[in-house]
Amino acid sequence: MEAKQKSEKFIVPIGPQHPALKEPGHFEFTVDGEIVTNATARLGFVHRGMEKGVEDRNWTQGLYLMERVCGICSHVHAMAYALGVEKLANIQAPPRAQAIRELVAELERIHSHLLWLGVAAHEGGFDTLFMFSWRDRETVMDLLETITGNRVNYSANVLGGVKIDINDAQKDALRRGMDFLEERTKHYLKVVTEDETFLGRTRKIGVMTFEEATLLGAIGPTGRASGVQRDVRVDSPYAGYPDFPVNIVTSDAGDLEARFVVRIKELYESYRLVREIVDHLPGGDLTVKVPRRIPEGEVISRVEAPRGELFYFMKSNGTDKPERIKVRTPSLCNWGSVLTTAIGHKLADMPMILAGIDPCFSCNDRLVMINGKKTETQVWDWEDLRQYGIEYYK
Amino acid sequence: MTIGSMLGDVVKSFFKKPVTEKYPFVRQEAPENLRGKLVWEPEKCTGCMLCVKDCPSNALELIVLDKVNKRFVMKYNLDQCTFCAQCVINCRFSCLNMSEEQWELASTNKEPFEVYYGREEDVKFLLEKASRGEAEGPCKED
Repeated sequence: MEAKQKSEKFIVPIGPQHPALKEPGHFEFTVDGEIVTNATARLGFVHRGMEKGVEDRNWTQGLYLMERVCGICSHVHAMAYALGVEKLANIQAPPRAQAIRELVAELERIHSHLLWLGVAAHEGGFDTLFMFSWRDRETVMDLLETITGNRVNYSANVLGGVKIDINDAQKDALRRGMDFLEERTKHYLKVVTEDETFLGRTRKIGVMTFEEATLLGAIGPTGRASGVQRDVRVDSPYAGYPDFPVNIVTSDAGDLEARFVVRIKELYESYRLVREIVDHLPGGDLTVKVPRRIPEGEVISRVEAPRGELFYFMKSNGTDKPERIKVRTPSLCNWGSVLTTAIGHKLADMPMILAGIDPCFSCNDRLVMINGKKTETQVWDWEDLRQYGIEYYK
Repeated sequence: MTIGSMLGDVVKSFFKKPVTEKYPFVRQEAPENLRGKLVWEPEKCTGCMLCVKDCPSNALELIVLDKVNKRFVMKYNLDQCTFCAQCVINCRFSCLNMSEEQWELASTNKEPFEVYYGREEDVKFLLEKASRGEAEGPCKED
């Protein structure tokens, strides 16, 4: 048999439907033996046209549509939207409402990080950790249901405040839940930093240096695990964060283990914040009145989602409907880091490296334009975009 | 460095009750502010339509039979409802409320998803009219 030429490329396609991740995304890994030499990603399989959809709804209805951009971090989307609308209308929600917003956001972070811990452990073949962390996640899901009335789309926000209040029984339930989760989380931190089998899958795998992370624009816990000191809650505090500040958690290692450690230590920070808010919840009203017609203007609203910085651009034309809403979710910013760190690793490490950024596919699927030549600038007007859309879906 | 660091958890759970619940044989009590099926009380309704206007999923229709005598029928499309409770917040007269008891809403046919609220005779009048094929169109915002 003729020996294979060295220059021959072997590409392993993964996705859109594949067993590693539950959401659709297409990846192509060029391999040399077992070692990945190049990686590309294709997104856009779950584009839902939400940004366009919100233009056809009034400001209040838009809140509930944007809440459904992401199933895991639903509250931060609604919060970013509500904060943006309040900024446009030049009003501010009362302190009690801001504190409750922060409380729900931190509970959501706890549920998201515990979910990720399970998923990442599952990708590494550690199903015991997956089962136990998801069992404990039920505690925080139940707490969210108790205080907001729903397990997933909490709908805690209204324009101008929140619609839920916290009573003493709920405060006690929150304190008990945090005590239980803190104890369990300490155990999980020990497991992920000491279990030899699991460390074989995480230590010095997918290493991203500080320089790379800065260059690729990695954000959220992924960036913080490489030493990037960036957290919207600290850099430009919103909602209740000026009153209940958060301490930034970073690590310099940059490998998968560091991402586990950073996320688990963020959990401690969230437990501390929940306790602090519950103990010192400000009194007063829950809502202020927001006009139906929002004054003309443009605004940027940034919040820290569990996965990193969530960015909203909002434009109002003075009517009761938004003119334009642009959303940039954190997962989109972190794809570059996956594709770069994948090179040089074994194909078997790919699911772990992919899961390492805590990807959320459906929330980042929006129009993505890749500009081949960096020196060229492109300006597309409405007609061009429309034509592009017609051609794309032909 | 250890090996099998979660073995202790596994062994312990042999002697514990399963965490999973035996639903539907055992029903967990719902939290007191759970957002279940929407309930409408017609007595205080003025027909201001604020609930209909802000519903994100167009689940509500308020049919006006006689505005002067406050004869309204509310058609609630349960299958479209997203249970966000915006209508409950919007209502200035507390006519709307979300039930914490009625949350088992699955059904094998479509009928239970069309809920009519209002005075019995009004609903009857409306349904009869509909069966004759001359139903009054639901009142919607322009």
